[in-house]
Amino acid sequence: MVALGLTLIYGVLNQINFAHADFVTVGAFTAFFTATRFATKVLGLPDTGAYLLSMFAALGAGALLGLAVNAAVFAPLRDRGDELRPLIATIGVSVLLENAQLALFGPIPYQFDSPFARETLRIGRIFFSAQSVLVVAVSAAAIAALYGFMRFTFLGKALRAVAQDRETAGLMGINPNLLIALTIVIASALAGMAGALLGPVLVLSPFAGASVIVKAFAIVIIGGFGNMQGTILAGILVGVIEAFTVQYLGSGLIDLVVFAMLLLMLVLRPTGLIAERKEENV
Amino acid sequence: MSARRIYFVVSILVLAALPWLIATPYWRGILVLCAMNVLLALSLNLVIGYTGQLNLGQSAFFGIGAYVSTILVKSYGWNFWLAAVAAVGAAGLLGLALAAFAVRLRGHYLAIASLGFAVITYQVLVNWENVTQGVRGIYGIMPPFSHPAALFYLVAGIAVLVYVLIDNLVRSPVGDSLRAIREDEVSAASLGINRALWKAFAFCVGAAIAGLAGCFYPGFVGTLVPDAFNIVESFTMMAMVIVGGMGTMIGPVLGAIVLTFLPELLRGFGELRLMIYGIALTLVVLFMPGGMVQAWMALRARLR
Amino acid sequence: MILRAKEISKSFGGVRAVHNVSIAVPENSIFALIGPNGAGKSTLLNLLSGIYQPDAGSLHLEETNLIGLPAHRRVRLGMARTFQKIRLFRQLTLLENVLAGFHIHQDAPFWEYLVYGDTGRFREEARSLLAFVGLEARSGERAGALPYGQQRMLEIARALATRPRLFMLDEPAAGLNAAEVDFLLKRLEQIGRQGVTVLVVEHNMDLVMNVAHRVFVMDHGEPLFEGTPREVQHDPAVIAAYLGGEFAS
Ligand SMILES: Nc1ncnc2c1ncn2[C@@H]1O[C@H](COP(=O)(O)OP(=O)(O)OP(=O)(O)O)[C@@H](O)[C@H]1O
Ligand SMILES: [Mg+2]
Repeated sequence: MVALGLTLIYGVLNQINFAHADFVTVGAFTAFFTATRFATKVLGLPDTGAYLLSMFAALGAGALLGLAVNAAVFAPLRDRGDELRPLIATIGVSVLLENAQLALFGPIPYQFDSPFARETLRIGRIFFSAQSVLVVAVSAAAIAALYGFMRFTFLGKALRAVAQDRETAGLMGINPNLLIALTIVIASALAGMAGALLGPVLVLSPFAGASVIVKAFAIVIIGGFGNMQGTILAGILVGVIEAFTVQYLGSGLIDLVVFAMLLLMLVLRPTGLIAERKEENV
Repeated sequence: MSARRIYFVVSILVLAALPWLIATPYWRGILVLCAMNVLLALSLNLVIGYTGQLNLGQSAFFGIGAYVSTILVKSYGWNFWLAAVAAVGAAGLLGLALAAFAVRLRGHYLAIASLGFAVITYQVLVNWENVTQGVRGIYGIMPPFSHPAALFYLVAGIAVLVYVLIDNLVRSPVGDSLRAIREDEVSAASLGINRALWKAFAFCVGAAIAGLAGCFYPGFVGTLVPDAFNIVESFTMMAMVIVGGMGTMIGPVLGAIVLTFLPELLRGFGELRLMIYGIALTLVVLFMPGGMVQAWMALRARLR
Repeated sequence: MILRAKEISKSFGGVRAVHNVSIAVPENSIFALIGPNGAGKSTLLNLLSGIYQPDAGSLHLEETNLIGLPAHRRVRLGMARTFQKIRLFRQLTLLENVLAGFHIHQDAPFWEYLVYGDTGRFREEARSLLAFVGLEARSGERAGALPYGQQRMLEIARALATRPRLFMLDEPAAGLNAAEVDFLLKRLEQIGRQGVTVLVVEHNMDLVMNVAHRVFVMDHGEPLFEGTPREVQHDPAVIAAYLGGEFAS
């Protein structure tokens, strides 16, 4: 889901957002405090309700952050046609967010108990925590919703038009700036929600996002920048490969294997799993 | 020309005086670190500033230089200088390996490929425990000179030499060709410039210089752990180049100096320190895209 | 014949941009390549200059086989070109743009540059090339800041710095005003008189009729006609192609 957000931003904007993963962490923290402090203590909701509410809070936090970063960084830098500077600016935002959280929450990891993490389901002889089932289910739902949105709604089509050719789309009465802002907000909201989902699974610390982001980039590249189907496929593929690596090589080598795969992919098919090769039009 | 000579002589004098002006061991250490960062910023600037190749993997070469030199000295009993030559060579070769990607990839793809390259290097340092000791680290590493002022003179002297050589190079026809590749690869090819060759050249030289900086790092710190060459280090180097002004000679030097001393001066702010760093980086990119050099030129133009 | 292409083809996905084109450019001539939009002229030029490799066919510069030879190697054989969509080094000065064009004539090893830096070797020649295209007064400005017409002239100066024997231009008159076209026309003739073979893709018929010795017409990726400017003007197939397919008999 994180990778999907990245790919969406890349597809429409042609920009990499290094701070994206920190939106995940912020989402996780928002969810954590909503669930454990606000919803249960102030509103007196039961655990499950509190957790669901926290997911929406995280979604909102992600969306707000996206809006802010778009206004502060992407919008002013957009028309300079420069690949490097927006990328550096998002690295700056990332450092800022990580350390702001560090200042607020401290370096000690939090234990985020979701009601679903306590329960386990059994299918055959394999046990799943309900949380991991929830992660998969909500991710799948979000991905399906996003996919449907891009394919079938007017806005989604407009977004794809902007992604293909910003100027022409502009001429057809589509306001590209508004749509780009919308994309970032959607992608960032996704990241926030991913935070709420992953919070109970990962260790919740200000730098949790940083460990996710590099892998998310790998997935985005393997899937082909800006290609949604490719990204989904690559996400699954990387998951499977990680599982195999853990099984046969040990968990220490996960990153090594994933990135070796990334480099291999870049040599063999630089445009990703699905997209076909294009020659630059001179 | 003579103005340049004067600047040069004055800089050398200032460098010579520095370890005696700032004489506490702690700040002398920071001076050494600063000279090392200048080397790193110069190396990265050659690749991204002059050749226009988005390289986020420079930390890998820094790490290779550090590990190869240290292991050769500690495990195989090599002489430090011989080990340094080997380490620089190893980093240069690895630079060629990354260049192989740069020849085929552009822009963001190259950025991520180089990032992946740095992650793999880091993971190898962590996992190849027989050789690198993994996360346990290597301890008790001696610097080539134990006196901090001597170490500073050594690293700063090398930084000055590298500066002069690169400065000559980028003013020469080689510089014209590298900038041509940065500006437009297709036109560069249409003028007979072999982009694969010159990209490889820039990556190789850039990597070798970063490797050279790496040779001095372990002895200076005394220990060697993979975390010192995390990808975050690449971002820091990038920040130095950008804040100073990439594609200029003096910019990265200024950037390295400012970004070495600024965090130290901000130490009083505790955790806010890195936050300020993040804000500063973002603001520089937004409001002075050419970095400090551009800001200075704009200021001078206004004062005239 | 300085350049000879035999039955070369290139497709992009399903589009046959160039199909079975054979072309022979006589030495010391000004050879024009014309055709309606999308006829495949730029693609052909890209094939000749090595930006693309053809799917099929043979390609020779005099006796040298060009197939498989990358663009930068062809420049050393004496082939230079300009682009339809201007591709200058926009952040560099005019002088730096032209100096970069001398790359293949810089033969000192790089360690010499490490020690001595800027040699200034081709500076005078670069200035005289800028003067040739009427830009010597602006040599210190950034190329991106030039008005459009002058950018085209700068691209010509930059390509001439490689000292070509065969100079290929892709629509050099596009976007120029009448006075600029006139200037360009004079310069092309002058280049031709200096023993350089000129291959020019152009829509501007005035220019073609005035400078070209021979004209080659393409349509839909295929050769349509070849002859003198006068013959081309009166050929019914060419007229039909320019008026649009529906009028063709
Ligand atoms: N890199 C490319 N990828 C895909 N299609 C291409 C590419 N280059 C050219 N084409 C297609 O090949 C055909 C010929 O294009 P080309 O640019 O050679 O025409 P042209 O004769 O130069 O036209 P114009 O006069 O408009 O410049 C067109 O249909 C074009 O869309
Ligand atoms: Mg064309």
